[in-house]
This record gives sequence, C-alpha cells and structure tokens, in this order.
Amino acid sequence: MDPLLHLLKIVPYSFLRVPRTRLKLPSFSLPSAMTVYALVLLTYFMVVSGFVYDVIVEPPGIGSTQDRVTGAVRPVVFLPGRVNGQYIIEGLSSGFMFVLGGIGIVFMDLALDRNRAKSVKVSFASAGISSVVIAYVMSMLFLRIKIPAYLS
Amino acid sequence: MGGKTEPANGESNQTPMVAQVSMKPDLFNFSLKTLKLKVKQQELLIRVGILCLVYVLAFIIRLFSVLRYESMIHEFDPYFNYRTTVFLTEKGFYEFWNWFDSESWYPLGRIIGGTLYPGLMVTAALIYWVLRFLRFAVHIREVCVLTAPFFASNTTLVAYFFGKEIWGSGAGLVASALIAICPGYISRSVAGSYDNEGVAIFALLLTFYLFVKAVKTGSLAWALASAFAYFYMVSAWGGYVFIINLIPLYVMVLLITGRNSMRLYVAYNCMYILGMLLAMQIRFVGFQHVQSGEHMAAMFMFFLMQVVYFLDWVKHMLNDSKLFQAFLRITVTCAVGVGALALGVGMASGYISPWTGRFYSLLDPTYAKDHIPIIASVSEHQPTAWSSFMFDYHILLFLFPAGLYFCFKRLLDATIFIVMYGLTSMYFAGVMVRLILVATPAVCLISAIAVSATIRNLTSLIRTKNKAVHTGSSKGSTSAKASSKASLDQSMPFQRNGAIALLLGAFYLLSRYAIHCTWVTSEAYSSPSIVLSARGAHGGRVIFDDYREAYFWLQQNTPPDAKVMSWWDYGYQITAMGNRTVIVDNNTWNNTHIATVGRAMSSYEDEAYEIMRSLDVDYVLVVFGGVTGYSSDDINKFLWMVRIGGGVFPVIKEPDYLVNGEYRVDKGAAPKMLNCLMYKLSYYRFGELTTEYGKPPGLANSLSSFLEEDVWDVPANIFNCLVPASDAIAGVCPRDTLANIMYCFRYDRARGVEIGNKDVKLEHLEEAYTTTNWIVRIYKVKPPSLSALEPLVSNKTFAEADETASSYAKRLIVGPSIIGLMSGNRAAQ
Repeated sequence: MDPLLHLLKIVPYSFLRVPRTRLKLPSFSLPSAMTVYALVLLTYFMVVSGFVYDVIVEPPGIGSTQDRVTGAVRPVVFLPGRVNGQYIIEGLSSGFMFVLGGIGIVFMDLALDRNRAKSVKVSFASAGISSVVIAYVMSMLFLRIKIPAYLS
Repeated sequence: MGGKTEPANGESNQTPMVAQVSMKPDLFNFSLKTLKLKVKQQELLIRVGILCLVYVLAFIIRLFSVLRYESMIHEFDPYFNYRTTVFLTEKGFYEFWNWFDSESWYPLGRIIGGTLYPGLMVTAALIYWVLRFLRFAVHIREVCVLTAPFFASNTTLVAYFFGKEIWGSGAGLVASALIAICPGYISRSVAGSYDNEGVAIFALLLTFYLFVKAVKTGSLAWALASAFAYFYMVSAWGGYVFIINLIPLYVMVLLITGRNSMRLYVAYNCMYILGMLLAMQIRFVGFQHVQSGEHMAAMFMFFLMQVVYFLDWVKHMLNDSKLFQAFLRITVTCAVGVGALALGVGMASGYISPWTGRFYSLLDPTYAKDHIPIIASVSEHQPTAWSSFMFDYHILLFLFPAGLYFCFKRLLDATIFIVMYGLTSMYFAGVMVRLILVATPAVCLISAIAVSATIRNLTSLIRTKNKAVHTGSSKGSTSAKASSKASLDQSMPFQRNGAIALLLGAFYLLSRYAIHCTWVTSEAYSSPSIVLSARGAHGGRVIFDDYREAYFWLQQNTPPDAKVMSWWDYGYQITAMGNRTVIVDNNTWNNTHIATVGRAMSSYEDEAYEIMRSLDVDYVLVVFGGVTGYSSDDINKFLWMVRIGGGVFPVIKEPDYLVNGEYRVDKGAAPKMLNCLMYKLSYYRFGELTTEYGKPPGLANSLSSFLEEDVWDVPANIFNCLVPASDAIAGVCPRDTLANIMYCFRYDRARGVEIGNKDVKLEHLEEAYTTTNWIVRIYKVKPPSLSALEPLVSNKTFAEADETASSYAKRLIVGPSIIGLMSGNRAAQ
C-alpha cells in the first residue's frame, strides 16, 4: 500500500491544487412537534377515508340507482351490501368525522391550559365538546346506514 | 391480641374495668385495622384485580363459536396448522423438522419442514405436553382451538406493561382493557382460528415492549430478552419483516432528532446481531437477513450506528474542531461510497434479492393488481374502506389522533416509538385489510394514552376544586389570596359539574365501545367458515355442515391413494379431514401448478380431461352455492381461475368468458362460459332439482317475498302445461305458483339469475357425491377405456329431453322448508 500512497501523493497532488469552495451543506432545522402533528393528522385523514382503496379500486364518487317506478336516477351515497367497500365521498365524509372527533378531544385538552384568557378557554371547551358529540353521533349514523343490521 | 390487654392489667389496679370494656372495641378496631390497607396496597389490589378481570374477559369473549357450534378448527389455513401439529405430537420434533409431504401438490410434494413457521405448532405442542405431564388427558384439537384466546389474554398483560412504560400505569390498564375486546384483534384470534397471527401478535408486542425497555434502561439483559422475543416472532409469522424494518426506522428517527445515546447503541446492536443469528435457525427464513432486500434496512442502520459512534468517539478524542471537520468529511464520503458500492455489487450479482411481491405491494399498492393475480385475488388483501376501520375500531378512531397529540406533547424515546409504530401500521392497515390486525396494538395503546390523559385532566378538575375550597376556608389570610380564590370559586361550580358530566360522557363512550365489540364478535367474527348458518323463515338458525360431510365421504368412500383436484382454497381441508392427496392447496407456492388447475377448470371438457389424466386426478371437487345462496362458491371465484390460468397459459383469455365486459351465467353468457368444465360441474343436474316436502296450496303464504322476482320469461307452452287449471284458482295467485316453479327450475340463488345452459351432459366425469344442500359436489374422473363407450351405454340425457313439460312439472314438488329457508336467507343477505 505504501508505495501507492507515495505515488498518489506525488502524481496528482503535486500539480493539482484543491480549490477552496464555499459550498456548504444546507442545514435544516427540524420542524416543531406541532407542525409534524398537523401533517400526521392530514395523513391520518387520508388513510382512514380509504384513500388507498379509492386509488386502487377506483369506485365512483357517488353511486346511483334507478327508481323502478318513475325511472329517475337517484344518487346512493353509501355502497350497500359489503363492509369493505365504499364510494369516494362517503369515505371522505366519514374520515372527516373521525378527525373531527379527535380534534374535539384535543380542544378539550387545550381548554385546560392555564395561560390563556378565560373566554378562549371556554370557547375551546365548548368547541371540543360539541365536536366530539357531533362526530360520535354522525359516525354512528353513518355506520347504521351502511350496515342496516347493526346492533340487532 | 392478648398482649395488648396485659400492660393494661399490669399497669394499675384502677383500670381493670376500663381495660375490660376497652377489650371489645380493641378487638373490633384491630380486625378492621388489619383489613384496612395502605393506599399503595389498595392501588395494587385494584390494579391486580383489573388485570385478572381483563385476562378472563379476553379469553371468554372469544368463545362464541365454541358455544354455538362445537370445538372445531375454523377456516382453511388452520387445518394445515392442525395437521402439522398432530404430526409433531405423534412423531416428534425431528420428524417434524425434516418432513417431506407427498400428499399435497401432487406430483411435486412439499417440503413442509422447510416451508413453514414452526412457532405456533411448537407452542401448541408444548402446552399439550405440559398438560399431559400434569395428567390432564386433553385432545390436541382442544389445545389447538384454545391456543389463540390464551395468547390473547397474555397479550393484554404485555399491553399493560407496555402502556406503563410509555405513559403510566393508568394508561397501561386502559390499554389492556381496550386490546382485550378490540375486534381488529379478535377477528384473527377467536377460539378455533388456529393461525399464526394468534401467537404472532403476542410475540410482536412482547418484542416491541422489551426493545423499548432496553432503550430506556440501556441494560444488556433487556436487549437480550428482546432478541429472544424477536426469535419467537420470526418462528411464528412472516410478518416479522415489519419489526425488522420498524426498529431501524425508529433508530434513524432517534438519531435525526438528536436523541442518540449509549443506551440506544447497546439496545440496537445487541438486538440486531443476536436476533439475526437466532432468526437464521428457522429453515424457512434461512439466510434472508443478509440476502433479502427487505432486511437490508436493518443492516444499513447497523453500519450507520457504528460510523456515528466512531465519529463521536474520534470527536471526543480529538479536541480540535477543524481537524475533526476534515476527518468527518473524509469518513462520511468513504462510508457512503463503500456502502453504495457494496449494495450495488450485491444487487447486481443477485446475492441481495429485491423486495418480494407480497411486501412490495405494500409499498406500491397498485403492483399486485397488474402483476400478481394470486395476491390480488385474496379478499383479505384488498385495500381498506372506511367502514372496515369503523367496524374494527369504533371509538378508537377518535381517540387515536387525540392520543397522538398527547404523545407529541410529551416526546420521549418511548412515545416516539409508539407514534412511529402507530403511523406505519395505520398506513399498512389502509393498504391491506388483513393488516388491521398489526395496527391494533398500536391503536389501542395510543387510544389508551388519550383516555388516560383526558380522564386525568377531568378528575384533576374535580379534585383541585375541592382543595381550593378547603384551603380557602381554612386559611382565609390575605385579602389577595381570598379574592383570587373567590374569583376561582365563582367559575368552579360550573366547571366541576361540567367535569363530572364529561366524565360520565367518557364512560358512556367506553361502554358503547364494549357493546359494539361484543356485537361484532358475536355476529361477524365467530363463524367457522367450514360450517355455514342462516336464519330460517321463522327466525330459527339452520346449519349447513356440507363441507365436513363431503370430506368425510371422501375419507370413507374413496381409495386411500386417490388424488383430488379442486381449487386451491380447499386443499388444506381436504388433506386434513379427507386425508387424500390434493393437487394444489392454500400454500400457493407454485403458480404454474395452480394455473394448470385453473386451465383445467376453464377449458372445455375434452381438454380438461387431458389435463386431468396427465395429473392422475381421480376426483374433482367443486363448491356450488346456487341452491342455498352461498356466495363464496367456485362460480363466483371463477374469474380468478381464468386470470391465473391465463397468466401462464395464454390460450385462456378472459374476454372469452365475459359478455360486454360483464360476467354472466344466464342465457346471455358467453358460449365458452356455458361449456367450460366448472360450469358443467356446478350445474350438472341442477335443472332437475326436486324436493319432497309439503304441498302446493300451503306455499302461497311463504312465497310473498317472491313477488319481487323478475324471472317471468317462461315459454308459453311450458307455462300452459305447468299451471293446471285447478291450482290457478282458489286464492292462489298464478304468479305465486309460477314463482314457486321458476324458483326451483334452475334459478341460481347465489347469482340471482336463471342459468343459461339447462341440460348439462358430462362425458368424461360422473357424479360421485353431492352433499345435502348441494354445496360441495364431487365427481369421479372416468378411466379412458369407458368414456369412448359412454354415448352407447347411458341414454338418460336423451330420455330427459323427451319428457313433456307437464310430467316434468309433476315431479316438481317444492317444500315450504326449502322456500322458507331461502327467503330467510335472502333476508339475511
């Protein structure tokens, strides 16, 4: 190895000079925890709405059925018959309800933060409680529409 | 107790009466005092009590199917596991480890010892031998059926300890309670579901818990324990790839966020090296840890950690920062260069194999649909819709983002881990329905954090209220304090009631979760797929045991060396219960062999006969749901047979079987569809279906549901013959009678149409057995010498065509029980 190193020292580096570059590796600072949390919520919304299902199976945005008597075309929001199947809009609305419920609990926790004004705390608490209640009621409603035999 | 009274007696003479009087209350106080525990002991008692209750709960909620039907193995895959476990207990571990099975994949055979994950079988066998040693004479089948609930109970314990590590003992208790009844876990670990996942989830959670404990404490003992837990996981399930990729990802995130420490170094290195060496002991895994692309992330992380710590050490030795910068640059370039070179050489030379299809389709979900039809055909591999999530998780879907928020508020090593586990597993659960199981422990743990934090907030609201009132009333010193307390006092009553109301609301939500889980378990996840049940017309349950009937018939009435051809779904059950050799089974390791069977099923009878002769097939088994309305039969799976067969043999083209892109079996179906082997075997003699119960006049009541049906295109001559004048009057609507007749006249209940090809004639096969409800049909392949004589010997098919429609109709007596059954089935659908 040694003769090679000596050779290397002489051959290129005797007449080449390493230029002094002013390149710097771009330094990046880590985002704050709450920014990451916001991104995480967004991905959670997409996953739970069945986004991958939409991409692969490509269901229509909303289904349709023809009324037997009048012949009019009526929209069908919830895909009937199967548990593991959806239309795009029903997936998105259900995913929104789930995220709303989660955010409601977060608001309720934020309402207990001591460093805020009382009115802000009260509004956080009421927003949180109403979000959770609405999200739960709507999710149960959606589930009952989707699975008619639910809890019977 | 006596000693207490002695000093009283010995002390003075004045107080003997007092001493005597005080003896009784002393005894009373003493017994109460011994029972009264200190607060810490009370808390321990509560915790242990809750854990015991949760343990028992997790076991008994999984027993629905044992109570309803009997203690039997469910589904398809568990039958293979059961058969191998029986072999293990009978022949011993050496025979089991080196077993070559010639009874499946005829004529190829299967090296079972080298192509299975032995963890589940060895665990069940160990439990069996322990019970036998203690002189409990149990049958191995009972042990197999109850292994999964037993390990589910153990998982709740591990969840408690894991929750305690991450957040606190309160969160641990909630996590264990949530995971005990979570439907996402119950679906694969119900009693009778003797499958790898039942044991694997326990091993997964144990590995993660021990690893997090090792990172927290930096102790070698915990790291070794996690390596052994990883070995158990590798021996139990192919999903260990998730662990070996999540842990390096976690280490990477810790390095990026600047939380590297000696504890992490010790934990990861020890676990990776020892875990890798132990994993290579499993023949099925072999050298994959150094050869397969899926395991390269862990190796890359291992080398990266060495580089990072080397640099750290050099930095510590060199006190000169400029020199260190230069050294840093050189080392990093060298390391990256050498690593890239090694990876490139490895992949180019083929030593490091790329990601296999099964796991690659998780990263790119569209891959399987286009390239690997076998993977795409399994219903468990479909992507997940919102309703599957809701069905399996209920309110945990709300608590999960809230729990993530609390974790992000308090970022420690342990919470970072659970966040990463939760996010990665939720993504994979969105890609494939089956992987909801892997996400369940993470979702339960994070939800438990949300529940624990929220309830803690609420109860602290209630409690501080009390304390403030007390201090306010007792002190009342300075005016400022008093005024502040007074102002707090004004909002307090409202807050306190609100907190109590919210607490009650939280308990209400959790109780709704429990109700939901019990309902889901009872209705959806407790069916042994081998025994079907439906609701009869009057609400009673009707049970179809056709599968076991057919396999038992096979066992009793066919020669021991008979070979049975069926679609691969039923292979394991046929070998385990029918004890006959099969051509293809659920292992699906040889795509060409399956494609050959698929080609045979979708060809005309002559070509199929050639293929069957070449495979030495003696019997063919098909599953048909047209009579009962069972929708998972072979005709509904037929398109997959075409696709898989067509993937290897281009002579099979899918458009040949479709009409305008639509799959039909009625009159308008494609001609190739109407004459292929699968169609013939399913609908052979279906047009003559007769039953013997009841008489026409009584049928009108039960036929009201048939008024909706649209099968009215009966040719006029048949109609006139079928409806005798006497029956058409007396309040019986002709439509009812028609529906009655049309119904059994080749109306396929599973597809909801009248079938196209009515008179099915078979040349090279003959019907051997059809089960009571026509669900399983077995045909015997005729030897070549007889088939040439067939047209001369039997004239039944020609004779049938001569019968007039009226005499045909007279043979059709449809019974109310079948009709009622079927209308009941329709309601259930």
